[in-house]
Amino acid sequence: MNKLLPIIFIFMLAVACSILIGPGQLSNEIFQLRLSRIILGIFAGGVLGFCGAILQGLFNNPLVEPYTLGSASGAALGSSIGILLFGTVSPLFAFLGALGVGLFVFTVARIEGGLIRDRLILSGVVMSFLCSSLVMIIMITGGKELYEILYLLMGYLGIIITSANRILIIGSIIISVILVIYLYRFHRELDIISQGIETATGLGIDIQNFSLILFFTTSLLIGFVVSIVGAIGFVGLVIPHISKLVFGPKHINNLPVSFLLGATFLLFADTLSRTITVYELPVGIVTSLVGVPFFIYLYRK
Amino acid sequence: MNAIEAKGITFSYNKTEVIHNVSFILKEGEFLGIIGPNGAGKSTILRILCRILIIKTGTITVFNKDINSLAQKELAHLFGFVPQETHFGLDFSVEDIILMGRYPYLRPFQRETKNDCEAVERAIQYANIEEFRRRRINSLSSGERQRVVIARVLAQKPNILLLDEPTSHLDLKHQYDIMRLLKELNSQGMSVIIVNHDLNLASLYCQRLILMHHGKIYAEGTPQSLINEKTIKEVYNTAVKIVTHPDKNLPQIFLK
Repeated sequence: MNKLLPIIFIFMLAVACSILIGPGQLSNEIFQLRLSRIILGIFAGGVLGFCGAILQGLFNNPLVEPYTLGSASGAALGSSIGILLFGTVSPLFAFLGALGVGLFVFTVARIEGGLIRDRLILSGVVMSFLCSSLVMIIMITGGKELYEILYLLMGYLGIIITSANRILIIGSIIISVILVIYLYRFHRELDIISQGIETATGLGIDIQNFSLILFFTTSLLIGFVVSIVGAIGFVGLVIPHISKLVFGPKHINNLPVSFLLGATFLLFADTLSRTITVYELPVGIVTSLVGVPFFIYLYRK
Repeated sequence: MNAIEAKGITFSYNKTEVIHNVSFILKEGEFLGIIGPNGAGKSTILRILCRILIIKTGTITVFNKDINSLAQKELAHLFGFVPQETHFGLDFSVEDIILMGRYPYLRPFQRETKNDCEAVERAIQYANIEEFRRRRINSLSSGERQRVVIARVLAQKPNILLLDEPTSHLDLKHQYDIMRLLKELNSQGMSVIIVNHDLNLASLYCQRLILMHHGKIYAEGTPQSLINEKTIKEVYNTAVKIVTHPDKNLPQIFLK
């Protein structure tokens, strides 16, 4: 409990910075704009941190992160195809792309039989490469659309909420909150899996089932995030490690803390992305540039 | 009713047949040892029983229930499995590790109950690990870690203990402690199957032995009947001298 308070304080600070810092006077309009960024930032950062923790626990692998299973590349591909065919960026195409690739990854991983968990990573990595290549082709032949896809690939919290996509976004956030709460119940299973498949099976976990439930649920969550704000990198990889460094390995702590820290980190990164240069940087660039040295510093302690 | 009835089990790893047409029985409250040379299939049998490996041929019933009709969690009420080695990817405390043994009894958002905490306490006392209960698991020696894993399986309160070479990483004192603990549990009604390389330990503690060779059951019986120079020579291809333990009427093996 005593460690949680400073984290909550830092979170509040991040929200405050997001509201107050930035060009121009704080008018009502600007406040509304920043509020939408804050909500999206908490949503995206929280879900990415949370899913990173889930996936690192499921695969018992500290290098796994939300995009390992292909959803980012899938979303980029879906969006690119959407732009190519219909000329607009819509969260719907990105989401379908993410989900489609998720299904594909699952289908490929199932082929040989055996433990599906171990095949999901390989399948995901391969599909990511494939999708990235296809996106590149579309970008090269598309020309003008290049710019918009870039923001999708790197992540951007300042999207304009139109009446068209408002419902999609609110709906996605509500469903995501429900899914996050649902996934939280697996904190014990994730603790146990860290000791190996045999121990986990011996204690009563059906690994095949468990892997699939977590895979599909996180794919949905990541699909929601990427389809709305793009592929913000680094958060899902690093935040769970920071959480474990400070709060210990138990997932009953690790999962909610990863959510909170992810949200906090992304809000700070977003504030920075708005102030650091004249042009607004995609927040994904900031998360990587800031995150790397910070993580190295923490790891050396 | 028998604790376990296994009939006609055949199992292959990647097209290599590892177990061939194995059938055996575990009586309730029995202390059974599975012995045999490397690669005989001993550890595979344990993994098949708790469904870490899934057989396509043969049937296994536990207290007259087919194991394939049970959910994995239900199976964990019946079997407690202690692998030869456990690697702890995350550095939990010893208490946390043992508490995980209660997982088969907890529903999704349920908190640990008083019952669960008591089970953990008793397990710690029984396994004699009070002194390092608050330490991180990876700060312990491999022998101490093994005792923690055994404490966890005690907290799990299964009907049948399955142990794969539980003493192989332990010093003399801890080998003795573990075997004595198992004997005590067995005398209170726990059925035990132990896979062991150490034939002398197996002889001293097991009521009955199954000797495996090339994936088949070569022989089974009491230590007195099974452990003799002829059988050891045939299965292990080693000449040995069998001597009766001075205090107990049990065979012990000496290398020639």
